[in-house]
Amino acid sequence: MRRLKYVLRIIAGLLRELSDQGAYMRHLAACGRAHSPAEWRHFCEHRLNAKYSRPKCC
Amino acid sequence: MKRFAAYAAWGAVALAAAFFLAGIAIHRGEPINSIWIVLAAVCTYVVGYRFYASFIAAKVMALDNRRATPAERLRNGIDFEPTNRWIVFGHHFAAIAGPGPLVGPTLAAQFGYLPGTLWIILGAVLGGAVQDFVILFCSMRRDGKSLGAMAREEIGRVGGLTALVTVLMIMIILLAVIALVVVNALKGSPWGTFTIAATMPIAIFMGLYLRYWRPGKVLECSVLGFLLVVLAIFGGQWVASNPFWGPVFTLSGMTLAVAVILYGFLASALPVWLLLAPRDYLSTFVKLGVVFMLAVGILLVRPNLELPAFTRFVDGDGPIFAGKIFPFCFITIACGAISGFHSLISSGTTPKLIAKEWHALPVGYGAMLLEGFVGIMAMIAACVLQPGVYFAVNSPAGIVGATPEAAVATISHWGFPVTSAQMAQLAQDVGESSLFARTGGAPSLALGMAHIFARSGGGQAILGFWYHFAIMFEALFILTIIDAGTRVGRFMLQDLLGNVYRPLGRTSWLPGVVGASAAIVLAWGYFLVQGVLDPLGGINSLWPLFGIANQLLAAVALCVATTVLVKMHRARYMWIPCIPLAWLVTVTFSAAWQKIFSPVPRIGFLAQARVLEQALAAGQIPAHKIAETQHRIFNERLDAVVCGIFLVLVATILIDSVRAWSGILRGTREASVHEAPFAPSQLTAEEI
Repeated sequence: MRRLKYVLRIIAGLLRELSDQGAYMRHLAACGRAHSPAEWRHFCEHRLNAKYSRPKCC
Repeated sequence: MKRFAAYAAWGAVALAAAFFLAGIAIHRGEPINSIWIVLAAVCTYVVGYRFYASFIAAKVMALDNRRATPAERLRNGIDFEPTNRWIVFGHHFAAIAGPGPLVGPTLAAQFGYLPGTLWIILGAVLGGAVQDFVILFCSMRRDGKSLGAMAREEIGRVGGLTALVTVLMIMIILLAVIALVVVNALKGSPWGTFTIAATMPIAIFMGLYLRYWRPGKVLECSVLGFLLVVLAIFGGQWVASNPFWGPVFTLSGMTLAVAVILYGFLASALPVWLLLAPRDYLSTFVKLGVVFMLAVGILLVRPNLELPAFTRFVDGDGPIFAGKIFPFCFITIACGAISGFHSLISSGTTPKLIAKEWHALPVGYGAMLLEGFVGIMAMIAACVLQPGVYFAVNSPAGIVGATPEAAVATISHWGFPVTSAQMAQLAQDVGESSLFARTGGAPSLALGMAHIFARSGGGQAILGFWYHFAIMFEALFILTIIDAGTRVGRFMLQDLLGNVYRPLGRTSWLPGVVGASAAIVLAWGYFLVQGVLDPLGGINSLWPLFGIANQLLAAVALCVATTVLVKMHRARYMWIPCIPLAWLVTVTFSAAWQKIFSPVPRIGFLAQARVLEQALAAGQIPAHKIAETQHRIFNERLDAVVCGIFLVLVATILIDSVRAWSGILRGTREASVHEAPFAPSQLTAEEI
């Protein structure tokens, strides 16, 4: 049961990372801010521009 | 006693690997079950990971968990963040898994299942995974620096600049060839075209949803997007059978090429949140889901491989691409065994997330082995098709004949019986008007995947759904690479042009954005149109060019890796990157040489140009084809020049590297590594 919980936690963590939600939560924590639409847009501006300035793999 | 049990267990796995490899290597005659290939790959990968990778980690790189990684030292909560190793593994795998390991093995199956399978298994263990692992290590020890920056620092300024130009050129060829795969898959297919066209408004809807309606709810939005895409697949079936909409979405190759070029331009110039990012989220989740589904499907169905171990085309006369097993099988498989592009990922996001140095082992080495396994699954999916069907789908009309009768006659004459009725039935089953000459690999891969999925549940009745689901899956992430690649190409070009006229370097200056986007789109669009117009299907000339470029980038990465090892006083281990490097240089240089200078017109670009020129001079070309033929002559020469430039660029880096190695080994050059200084790690197990 503990092992299953660990696997589910990893999968949830992976999904959060792939969807940038993990990075967003860290950004809120690091800057000491609360979630708001404006904050998300501000985060996206930086995050996505950096993310898509690197080539994607073939 | 415990140690003896471990030795016995690993001995048994190694023996199993040898047994299954020998089994697939010597088996002839009756079709072999795919489980042999699965087990040969899994056992070899496990042994390679446990012994070879651990040896590299412990002895060569001396990974040290007491040393703080950049994720810990430079932690900023965004890019640099110590992350659980399995999450980094999934993240890294999602980043490196592209269409290459799916399409390459599908095309290489023209030689039979054996050459490609052996190369995917051995190439991944000895080459691809080593490259990814060593570059990840190098970048991790250098604060997450990129491959170009490491090349400049470790090899020299010439190496750094050459690496940048090489990457830009490779990207242009890559974007053209994968766009061609999509165009060939959607040509004359209203169902597929509608489904893929529908993903554009779906992505825009997702972008608006995330920005204005439910900001930050990416997972929720992706589920919604996936449901809409599945609806679009069902909608595509209705569209295809509708007397009005069916013809509207039945597009020629050229129309589709123009549409993809326009799309690439828009996606590059539009804000990323609107189209690119939502599509990328969707494609990442669909990609991981489908790879998992395919693995489960293969294990459930355990299909037989209908293609033989070797086909008659080992002689170099293959219809899909011309050339013998050596070197063309190896450059065709590309990413399934070793991919230069992985070195860009291993020196990109991943090193900034590694919490402990030893985590680089499963992430760098392990993720590449999983990618190799994806290549194995693609090979199985291609080989479950009847050989006649496989060749009928993948052979261009210019080789087998333009009519179904001519095609089946040619293919049956090769010893792979197939009938027009069989092909017509199959096309009807998957909701297509015809499956002849659907070159590029994507349709035959989709057919193989659809067979496996349908046999796992649902049967023949839903073959059409699964076929279009597989096409959607392939096209979705290929288009993501096209829009992201065009954008990155634009940044690189603006970076270079900024040295000439400063405003051009600003990525927010509209004329610069539009001009650079247009330049990149036109560059890959030119090669795409060339591929669409090519009577031999385009894949024959463009895929080898892409394979050569990709493998040459891997050679650049291995040069950097070897230089770092030599500078770390680990010269006695330089054989580890040098073995794959020597192999890649041999394979790519001989392939490139043949593509430029072979006297066989289907292989050599210059020979093909000469044949066309002679036909033109002899008046054998009809008047309405003269302009087209002149274009083809120019294109063949252009391909030869591009191929030659790749060789010169990589030879430059190679010579520069060898000079650096020999200088360090002879003591005439300082062996200064550019590693970040040692800082003790404070991270506890609970924190990661």
